[in-house]
Amino acid sequence: MVASTDINTTRQGYQTRVARRYFALVLVAALLLISFLVDLTNGPGNFPLSMVLETLLDRSAHGIQMEVIIWDYRLPVAVTAILVGGLLALSGAQMQTVLNNPLAEPFTLGVSSAASFGAALAIVLGWSIVPGIGHMLVTVNAFVFALLTCGFILIATRVKGVGTETMVLFGIAIFFTFNAALALMQYMSSEDQLARIVFWMMGSLARASWEKIALGAVLLCLALPYSLFRTWQLTALRMGDDTALSLGIDVARLRVEMLIVISILAATAVAFVGTVGFIGLVGPHIARLIVGEDQRFFLPLSVLVGALVLSLTSIASKMITPGVIYPIGIITALIGVPVFVSLILSSRRERLS
Amino acid sequence: MNNLNITDLGAGYGKVTILKGITVSNVKPGEFVGLIGPNASGKSTLFKSIAGIIRPGTGTISLGDIDLVTAGRAQRSRRVAYMPQAYGCNAALSVFECILLALKQANRWRVSSDDLDRVADILAELELSHLADKGIALLSGGQAQMVAVAQTLVRQPDLVLLDEPTSALDLHHQLSILATVRRVMKKRGMIVIAALHDLNLAAQFCDRLVLLGSGAVLADGPPGKVLALSSIEETYRVKTTLEQTRRNTLYVDARLSA
Repeated sequence: MVASTDINTTRQGYQTRVARRYFALVLVAALLLISFLVDLTNGPGNFPLSMVLETLLDRSAHGIQMEVIIWDYRLPVAVTAILVGGLLALSGAQMQTVLNNPLAEPFTLGVSSAASFGAALAIVLGWSIVPGIGHMLVTVNAFVFALLTCGFILIATRVKGVGTETMVLFGIAIFFTFNAALALMQYMSSEDQLARIVFWMMGSLARASWEKIALGAVLLCLALPYSLFRTWQLTALRMGDDTALSLGIDVARLRVEMLIVISILAATAVAFVGTVGFIGLVGPHIARLIVGEDQRFFLPLSVLVGALVLSLTSIASKMITPGVIYPIGIITALIGVPVFVSLILSSRRERLS
Repeated sequence: MNNLNITDLGAGYGKVTILKGITVSNVKPGEFVGLIGPNASGKSTLFKSIAGIIRPGTGTISLGDIDLVTAGRAQRSRRVAYMPQAYGCNAALSVFECILLALKQANRWRVSSDDLDRVADILAELELSHLADKGIALLSGGQAQMVAVAQTLVRQPDLVLLDEPTSALDLHHQLSILATVRRVMKKRGMIVIAALHDLNLAAQFCDRLVLLGSGAVLADGPPGKVLALSSIEETYRVKTTLEQTRRNTLYVDARLSA
């Protein structure tokens, strides 16, 4: 006969885990807040935290110079770091789930190379698909090309079916195509244009602006609740297509829906700050190590971890050489990768075997 | 009641027809049906047709008062649970979570106290309680197979389809998985259809055997009757002798036909 103590122990075991997960979410959110404040105080000038906080609460508390430094320079950069980190990590987490592969990331399907090509096209030829956009030319072109790529993959999957392997192969094809096209652009460009292309591709938070922040925040606020609404289906997707189908999930439709969300998130992130690799891979990985893949916790924690990592990177990019702000894309790889590798090596729970 | 009737079912993939006019009538709740037949005889295709993963070209499948062919996804998945073949998964989920997610598909978003009870119950019933917190990727083949069974049973379906539940299991686990399924399904009055390669296991655990060959039903009846038929020898291309063991179970002695 079934012992009722067994049932109670099992229940309690699960409830303890759930409680720990909520704690992890709160903890990472707290760390993010601290990192955000450190990011604001950091930089040329060495203003104390109290001054920064007072300027945040009252713009003109410490005069016009302080207002400009905080509200026009540091705050947009710090907020963008958090927002882009969140966008990249969320789309990475979803991409790993949708492709049923923990090695996937937001740019697996070629979004970043398409965006880079779009940017290069705008820089070299001054040519855009969307007319009349003035100073936003490079950003908009990058975004449009990234979205077109995703549209192409979606159409291709309509024709060939939504097998995950086929999709990854399409992504590889797109990656090489746009890389070649990008090389052509670089070959044709002047020295000045070449420098701009290379700098764009490095990824930099210095391109922050309040318009971008507003748009990104709206996107994140739409995408996260939507994914959470689909959370049980997404979790089931990791059990494999057959199991998901047998549970009554319309796998093909779910995959297409999620790919559209992922595309918009990734395209937005790359259009805002250029190619920032690694966050979309490492954010979900760290989240997975902490809370596993129950998507109710996995998705929000991925967002928080991605935001935290990019915020810390933003601090690091200012601290390495005082007075110089390094492009963020370089720092994420140089500092992030060793941390990530050591994390994998030290992890007791090897889940991927 | 919730009897299962499959009538003149034809199905396949694209232009390839695999099932031709399958009829299996009047399967009653509490009946354990063994689906036997050689490789590529259409067992998995039949399962996928019943589970709604592929859409049959012709025929009807009715379970009680609903037609499974035309029923909506949600309605079908509440009544029918299908365990696919070759179960493997590298997700970072605990055993408890894997079973919970199966339960939550046809259920409200929030995890209720009742949900936790049902998952804990089925874990205890299948003697998996000690694995509840273990990662699914760390399980042995037998344990993973049991978790897959738990995923189907926790939904309390009327019809359970198990595609080769004993493949890749050692002797002990083969017996224990079928004995457990049989105990639970008898208690809850479910219909179970299991594809089995081992005719002796089929003889020991099933109330009824359906023999498939080249996409058609070649025999249907109690194990003692079906296993004695010459069509067994023809479909499997072997010589068989049916013996009664001292435990009063059937034993199929098979050898290659000369």
